[in-house]
Amino acid sequence: MKHTEKELQALKDAVSQMWMLVMSQLEKSEQAFINNDMELAREVVSREKRVDAFELKIDSDCENYIALYAPVAIDLRLVLSLIKISITLERIGDFAEGIARHVIDADCATIEPEIMKELRCEDMFAILRSMLSDSFTAFYSEDTVLSGRILSKDDEIDHIYRRSIDVLAEYLADHTSLIRCGLKTMLLIRKLERIGDHCSNIVEEIVFYVDAKVLKHQG
Amino acid sequence: MIETKHIDFYYGAFHALKDVSIRIEPHTVTAFIGPSGCGKSTFLRLFNRMNDLIDGVRLTGECIVDGVNIYNKSVQVDDLRKKVGMVFQKPNPFPKSIFENVAYGLRVNDVQNKAFITQRVEESLKSAALWEEVKDKLKKSAFELSGGQQQRLCIARALAVSPSILLMDEPASALDPISTSKIEELIHVLKQEYTIVIVTHNMQQAARVSDRTGFFMLGELVEYSDTKKMFLNPEKVETQNYITGRFG
Repeated sequence: MKHTEKELQALKDAVSQMWMLVMSQLEKSEQAFINNDMELAREVVSREKRVDAFELKIDSDCENYIALYAPVAIDLRLVLSLIKISITLERIGDFAEGIARHVIDADCATIEPEIMKELRCEDMFAILRSMLSDSFTAFYSEDTVLSGRILSKDDEIDHIYRRSIDVLAEYLADHTSLIRCGLKTMLLIRKLERIGDHCSNIVEEIVFYVDAKVLKHQG
Repeated sequence: MIETKHIDFYYGAFHALKDVSIRIEPHTVTAFIGPSGCGKSTFLRLFNRMNDLIDGVRLTGECIVDGVNIYNKSVQVDDLRKKVGMVFQKPNPFPKSIFENVAYGLRVNDVQNKAFITQRVEESLKSAALWEEVKDKLKKSAFELSGGQQQRLCIARALAVSPSILLMDEPASALDPISTSKIEELIHVLKQEYTIVIVTHNMQQAARVSDRTGFFMLGELVEYSDTKKMFLNPEKVETQNYITGRFG
C-alpha cells in the first residue's frame, strides 16, 4: 500500500472508531432511558468528551491530508465526506448525551406507561440503531445498495414523530399539570427524530463519496 | 545530524546564501522549496561540499555533519561523500553495466572482496526498490533502463557505500508521474535508515514526502517548520504567497 493510501486508510479507521463509539453511546442512552438507569446515563454523559475529541482529531487530520496530498476524484470525495460524517456523528453523540441527561433529570416519570408505549420511543431507538449500523456497513463496504433502505427508515421515524405530537397533545389537553413533563418528553422525541435526519445525511455523504451523486435536498 | 550556523555563501560578488542556520534531525526527510535562484540547491550542495568545485566561491559560518564542521581543513572530501550521498536531477548512470554502476563506489574505495561487493549491490538495489526489475539482467548496460529505473539505479549507487545522509536535488523532475510516485514511496522507506534532504520545485512533492520544509527566497531561509504546519498555516506572509501561488 502506498504512503498516501495508508494515510487515507488511517482517516477511515479513525472515522470507523468514532462511528463505533457513537453507536455505543446511542445504545447506552436507549438502555438508560428504557430502564431508567442513571448510572448508565452518567456514563454516556462522561463519554461524550471522547466523541468530541474524535471530531477534533478527524477534522485536523483531514485538513492535513488535503494540505499535504491535494487529493482528487474519489480521494477528494472521501476526505470531504469524512469531515462531514464526523461532524454529523458528533451531533448524534450530542443527542445521545441529551437523552442521557433527560434520564438523569428524573422529573418525567409521571406520564402513564400506556402513553409512553403509544409514543413508540423504543421503536424509534431500534430504527435509529439499524440506520446507524447499516450506514456504517455501507460506508465500510463502499456499497450504496443499502442507501435507499436506510433513507426509507427515516420516513418511518418521521411518521412516528408526527404521530407522537398528536398523541401527546391529546394527552396533555386532559393532564395540564403534566405540561412541563410533556414538553420535555416531546424534546426527547424531537432528538430521536433529528438523529434520523443525521443518519440520512450520513447516507447522502456515503453516496457522494462512492457514487459521486448528490442526493441532498431532493426529497 | 546536520546543523548549519550562520552560513553565508558567495559566488564571486553574488551573495547567494544569507545567514542560514538550520538543524536537521536524523531519519527525517527535509525538503527545501523556493523560486529559481533562491539558493536552495546551493545550500543542499554545501552538505557534501559539491560547491568546492566552483571557482570564486566563498563560505563563512559552520556546516556541521555528525558533530564535525565539514569545512575544516582536516576533513577529507572523499570520506565526507561516502557519508553524504547525492542524487541529481537527471539520472546519470555511468556507461557500464547495472551491476558495475552500483559497485562503482565500492571499487573506487578499494573494496576488493567480490562476495561483499555482490552482496552490497544486491542490498542496495533492493533498498532502491529496483532489484526485482533488474536481478536477471545485471550485466546489461544501465542505459537500457527507463528514466525512472535509471534514477533508482543512481539511488542504489549512492546507497552502496553506506552513507548516513542522502541528498536529492530535484530527483523526480525529469520523470513521469508513475516513476515519480515510485521515487516518493522509496523516500518514505529510506528515511528509516537515512537522513534525507531534498530540493524540489514541486511543492506538492515537498508536502507529500517531507517531515520538515524550508522555504528559501533571495538567499534567505524565510521559514523552516514542520511540513504540516507550513502547508496549513505558515508563519510568514512570503511563504503563504509562494505556496498558494500568489507570489510573483
